[in-house]
Amino acid sequence: MPLARPLLGWLAFAVVMCLVPVFVSTGTVRILVFANFLAIFAMSWDVISGRTGYISFGHPFLIGIAGYTTAMLTYHLDTPLWLSIPAGVFATLVGGTLFLLPALRIRGTYFALVTLAFMELMYQLTQVIAPKVTGGTRGLSGIPTIVSGAIPNYYLTFGLVFAIGLGLWFVLRTRIGAALAALRMDEGAVAASGLSTIRLKLFAFMTSAAVAGIGGAFYVHYLGSIAPRGLFDINFLFTILVAALLGGSSTVAGPILGAYFLTFLLEYLRPYLPGPERYVIYGMIALVVYVLEPRGLHAILRTGARRLAPLLARRRIAP
Amino acid sequence: MTNILIQGLALSGLYALVAVGFTMIFSVGRVLNLAHGVFLMLGGYAYYTAVQVFGISKGAGIAIAVLAGAAFGILTYTVLVRRLEHNPIAVEISTLILAVVMQALIVVVYTSAPKSMWPIVPGVFRHEGVFVSHNILAAMVLSWIVLGGLVVFVRRTRLGRALRAVSMDRKGAVISGIDPHRMSLATWAISGGLAALAGVFFATYTQLTPGMWVAPLIIAVAVVVVGGIGSIVGSLVVAHLIGFMETVTTTLVAAELRGVFTMVLVIVVLVIVPKGLFGREEL
Repeated sequence: MPLARPLLGWLAFAVVMCLVPVFVSTGTVRILVFANFLAIFAMSWDVISGRTGYISFGHPFLIGIAGYTTAMLTYHLDTPLWLSIPAGVFATLVGGTLFLLPALRIRGTYFALVTLAFMELMYQLTQVIAPKVTGGTRGLSGIPTIVSGAIPNYYLTFGLVFAIGLGLWFVLRTRIGAALAALRMDEGAVAASGLSTIRLKLFAFMTSAAVAGIGGAFYVHYLGSIAPRGLFDINFLFTILVAALLGGSSTVAGPILGAYFLTFLLEYLRPYLPGPERYVIYGMIALVVYVLEPRGLHAILRTGARRLAPLLARRRIAP
Repeated sequence: MTNILIQGLALSGLYALVAVGFTMIFSVGRVLNLAHGVFLMLGGYAYYTAVQVFGISKGAGIAIAVLAGAAFGILTYTVLVRRLEHNPIAVEISTLILAVVMQALIVVVYTSAPKSMWPIVPGVFRHEGVFVSHNILAAMVLSWIVLGGLVVFVRRTRLGRALRAVSMDRKGAVISGIDPHRMSLATWAISGGLAALAGVFFATYTQLTPGMWVAPLIIAVAVVVVGGIGSIVGSLVVAHLIGFMETVTTTLVAAELRGVFTMVLVIVVLVIVPKGLFGREEL
């Protein structure tokens, strides 16, 4: 596979996104910050679910571990951020291995359900166990932020999206990526060809957990607060899942695309539908796109480009 | 002790009613309906609208709720599930999206403010320091009647036997002249109706809010996973296991911990006995 063209694509993506804050309002930049976080979460979801086919309904669980770890460390112990964020990511890696436990025996529907149970358990635990430490139902607020202002936060989060995206792209275009895809199609065949499925799953889960952890930790230090409601929530899960699926699962560009698309879809519906109707239309669009093209926008754009290319080429020759 | 027994039985009856439709759909169509909680919510809101807004009698209100649930079940199957049936994961994801859409729709129509429902059977049962509302006792009795009827229906009637045939061996059923799609349609209609019925009682037990679909979905998942996905009797037993566990936890340990134990049970069972305690995948 030639490297030059995709790398050029990444470069173009970086240049465009770095210029964006110059042209748009601060409000839009703030929205973009959220889109960036969603992109990170969606990429993380895709590594485990899009690639290997182990559908996670418990991603907020992983995000929450990192978020709570770093929030509690900085809030109670005044731990510096350079220490608490890696600690949060490390805690998420431990959570990722917890996911591996059921994945050794079950997959598909059952795996999705057990991860859902993990999320629900975490929701209950944060409220019940040691509410003084976790902040209970109300959560913790007044957590230190890394940078302040919309534009610095934008560059910080976009830097994360870009680094994670490029990193994942490099790793997943290797034979490991192919092996993970094979795991999705036929796990028995992967085992039969002498690869360790456990190690492959461990790799996918760890990578996914690391990305979710980084996203979760930075997210908490962007918001400055954390609370169980809204975080361990099926609606939050829905947004992550739909961003990855709508953009195009099993690709790196797809989840990023889906995250920006979803966030802006919601924003651009605002002037026309100021009320709660917006969420109905938003969900309907997601549902229709998913049912009509389960491979997502990435596939739609790709097919579109392939169809358009000959037309454009012909025009160039014709005159 | 008597208190725990009665409350446990009542809660378990409600849980069994919540979970049974979810079980049926998986058993017949091999797909999970993550919009199951929404069916309950629709039942609750339909009853609320009929009885507390338009002032129709309670019996008619329940009938309207059940019909609304069945209609929505049929609609979900024909519009959405039918075309994705070959891919269970796609069904799960699309029904999850559907649930979120319906939640938004409920907010549009009824606002997000919680609505409290009048008890369907008012009054409180008092006996030697035991307090149980008549309402939840009614739910328990009703769930016994409904579930008993369902077992008879599945074992004794032609349609019920056809459903069982599809759930046991789809190909064999097709060869014997059963149309599995029509069976799935029937299952979705029954499941929707039962869920709506459960929803009416569930809403009087808790509250009517646009986010109320999550809790019954989690209950259905827990009951069905622990019982073994697809087994009606298994779900019945486990609904009692979970119902009693929650009642005991609430009265003897701490009310906040009841959900924790249920989730731990789900995780442990799925990891150790993935097929559930009564693991067979037929009705």
